[in-house]
Amino acid sequence: MVVLKILSILLLGESKLGWAALKLPFIAGLWHMFRKSGVDPRWALVPCARTYMLSRCAGREPEGRVLSVTEFLLLPLQILQLSQIEAGYLAALGDRAETVLLLVGVVDLALTFVQIVYWVRVSAGLTEVYGVSRRWIVLWLLFPFIPALVYGFNAKYQPAWKLEDIREELARAVSGGFVEAGEGLTVNLQKRTVTEFFQKKTLLRDIHLNIKPGHMVLLLGGSGAGKTTFLNAVNGYEKADAEVMLNGGNLYKQYKKMQFEIGFVPQQELMREKDTAEATLLDAAKLRLPFNVSAARRKERVRQVLEIFGLTPARHTLVEKMSGGQKKRLSIAMEFLSNPSLFILDEPDSGLDGVMARELMQQLRKIADMGKIVLVITHTPDRVIDLFDDVIVLAKDSARTGRLAFYGSIAEARAFFGRKKMEEIVRAVSGRDEGGEGRADELIARFAEVQHG
Amino acid sequence: MAEKSAGASRRFRIRHRGRGAQVFIYLGKQLRMFVYQNDWKVLPMAALIAGLVGMVIRRRLFVNMEGSLMGAFALTCVGIWNGCFNSIQVICRERSIVKREHRSGMHISAYVFSHMLYQGMLCLLQTGVTMYVLHLTGVQFPEKGLFTPWLIADIGISVFIVSYAADMLSLWMSALSHSTTAAMTVMPFVLIFQLIFSGGMLSLPKWSAGLTRYTISNYGLRVICAQTDYNNRPLVAAWNTLERMQGQEIGGTVTLGQVLDLLGDKENPAVEEIRAAEVGRVFTLGEVKAALESSVTVKRLLETRLADGVTLGDVLGLLKADRLLERYRDVQLGGVTTVGRLADALSANEDVAQLRDRGVTFRTTVGRLLDLAGKDRVRDYIQRRAMEASFTEEYSNTRENILSNWMTLVSFALLYALLAAVTLEFIDHDKR
Repeated sequence: MVVLKILSILLLGESKLGWAALKLPFIAGLWHMFRKSGVDPRWALVPCARTYMLSRCAGREPEGRVLSVTEFLLLPLQILQLSQIEAGYLAALGDRAETVLLLVGVVDLALTFVQIVYWVRVSAGLTEVYGVSRRWIVLWLLFPFIPALVYGFNAKYQPAWKLEDIREELARAVSGGFVEAGEGLTVNLQKRTVTEFFQKKTLLRDIHLNIKPGHMVLLLGGSGAGKTTFLNAVNGYEKADAEVMLNGGNLYKQYKKMQFEIGFVPQQELMREKDTAEATLLDAAKLRLPFNVSAARRKERVRQVLEIFGLTPARHTLVEKMSGGQKKRLSIAMEFLSNPSLFILDEPDSGLDGVMARELMQQLRKIADMGKIVLVITHTPDRVIDLFDDVIVLAKDSARTGRLAFYGSIAEARAFFGRKKMEEIVRAVSGRDEGGEGRADELIARFAEVQHG
Repeated sequence: MAEKSAGASRRFRIRHRGRGAQVFIYLGKQLRMFVYQNDWKVLPMAALIAGLVGMVIRRRLFVNMEGSLMGAFALTCVGIWNGCFNSIQVICRERSIVKREHRSGMHISAYVFSHMLYQGMLCLLQTGVTMYVLHLTGVQFPEKGLFTPWLIADIGISVFIVSYAADMLSLWMSALSHSTTAAMTVMPFVLIFQLIFSGGMLSLPKWSAGLTRYTISNYGLRVICAQTDYNNRPLVAAWNTLERMQGQEIGGTVTLGQVLDLLGDKENPAVEEIRAAEVGRVFTLGEVKAALESSVTVKRLLETRLADGVTLGDVLGLLKADRLLERYRDVQLGGVTTVGRLADALSANEDVAQLRDRGVTFRTTVGRLLDLAGKDRVRDYIQRRAMEASFTEEYSNTRENILSNWMTLVSFALLYALLAAVTLEFIDHDKR
């Protein structure tokens, strides 16, 4: 009987045989749900892993990790709490039995709380994916076998998207070719992967391009297409399986020496709010300018930069008191101090009105005209598109990997996509679940053909 | 092209500021934050906390064991509290900024070291304020210190090291946390752990007692107890409890045999003192006469008629007993013995042996018993024995012991700072 109960815990996660029996229709339901989501249905038979896979189907992978680990930790606790086993170790422990029992109980309680909270989150994800009422969460929580059976067996219930990797063939088919290192920035990115919870994910692949000095380039793409990942890979901060050459230097091999050749302006204004603009720049200058630059020259450089970015009147103002536009300019000015040859800006115009955004972009244009490369992500490109030379379009393919869907001049982009506005191009490459046209795979393949014949 | 590449390579060879120089950049930043970001508020807060604690411990700290322990615990708590709240948010509140600056060439080690220096200064100031406020509230530091001529300075050093170690622990927590909310959620657990496992105030189950080796509070308590000379202070709790019980009635039945056996126990050190007590005294015949004359019973006896019209007094008068007693008034009678000898004699007496099983029921109060035994003697005895029983090796008031605890606390601080630096080195792996 004990062996049967232990087996029941290990396979079904329940010690009471009645409850364990209810897990069988749950597993049957999961089997079909996994099929619908493009997951190997055999995962439904594996304890702990089935919860993780279900969370992935719900688009709640991080929660799934916690849930499956919690489930795994609860297994031995459940076994320890079986009356026959409990009696055995309590007798053996003697005086310490009470303490051990208390500890087991406390840990069990804490893990159960965690499980409930995360199970609610995963259930909420499932209701979103299946487009049903949030009231289903209650059923998922109390009698999970009912929604599992309904979602699994009823053809009416279909997930909004699939977790598939079956398009890997397509991904291989359109692998891009190597671009010869030239003047300016040359990127040959084969792959950018991350390993999360024993799973290797490909975030980006096959991006090969060369950007000439003096060019201001727009980086476009739908949500999750890997724009920020691409920028991080290009600036060498998060290395990819790639070769990034900047003005003849290999960025990955000489990162420490070349890091000041790149100015990366993050999306948020990451500056200390209680510091003045001048103090912020002076400290940034100390970090970014060479060691042998005298204090007087450093101050002079800060004065120049304040002047260039129109911040001279606000130089003694605390950052927290500055307007949104001033903060953005200050953030860019910090990177400009070291006179880098590559400028990367992640949504510099977010939170700015049209006039201020245009002013800022004009400033960036001026920087590009100084012979520098300026690479910008923006979600409102059309109001400033005349300031850009080129556009890079990244798209998420059906394997959810960021791919190059286009790189060329603005005019070429309009011709390639048959759209006038950049926002329409983004819509074309975005998935249907994001309100787009879901043409990413087609456009990726077409551009690969154009690029490499 | 080759020329250009060589030029680029030369350009990349430019040297930037190293770790040492960067420390001062961040130290400057933190000093500005002290003024602008209201970090200065920790000083009046420290004064407030010290004031509250001072009012509680001022009359107890150097008086007895309990006061020393409580005071040491309170001072340790002050140190831990100050330290923890100094740095719990300092890294996590600017985590994204740190990430950006790290990307721009900032060395994590320089950043953490600047925090170590800045937090050290903050702890030093707080300790100064704390000790000054304790002095103002009337805490007396009577004795000379083992390391400085002033005990207040010695204890100040301990409070400083405790707060600094707690500060570094919090700095590590701050480096681990990704947001201020997360840090403030973790903080109470850290504090509770430190307070419960301080090892002095709460008696812990055996299995968990070992955990005290890993808490700052344990070493803080040890060092301050040592400095307040805990082991040489009386333990008053036992006597105070007994004194509070004075009005309580106690009673029971004992046999003569039990009393004699107790008094005859020569191995029992508690009985030894009673056995040594002297009983009886030498008196003169004159004193006997005076006592007899003042006794009503004797008076009645003298008036007792022996025959018609003749009383005992008449007979004694005829015998000139009065004059006889007067003549021999300086003759000494009686003698002094000890309770022990008396008890031994009674135990050896055959007639008394026959009475051994005779029971005596008594009812009295604790107070009367204390009076009987001598209150002062009992108090001194109980306090001395309780003090001996509470002797704790770890609280020895020696330079070696204090120095060893200081060193342990400094090691804790350095370890936590190192952990903070190592943790922060992984900042690039933050969720993107």
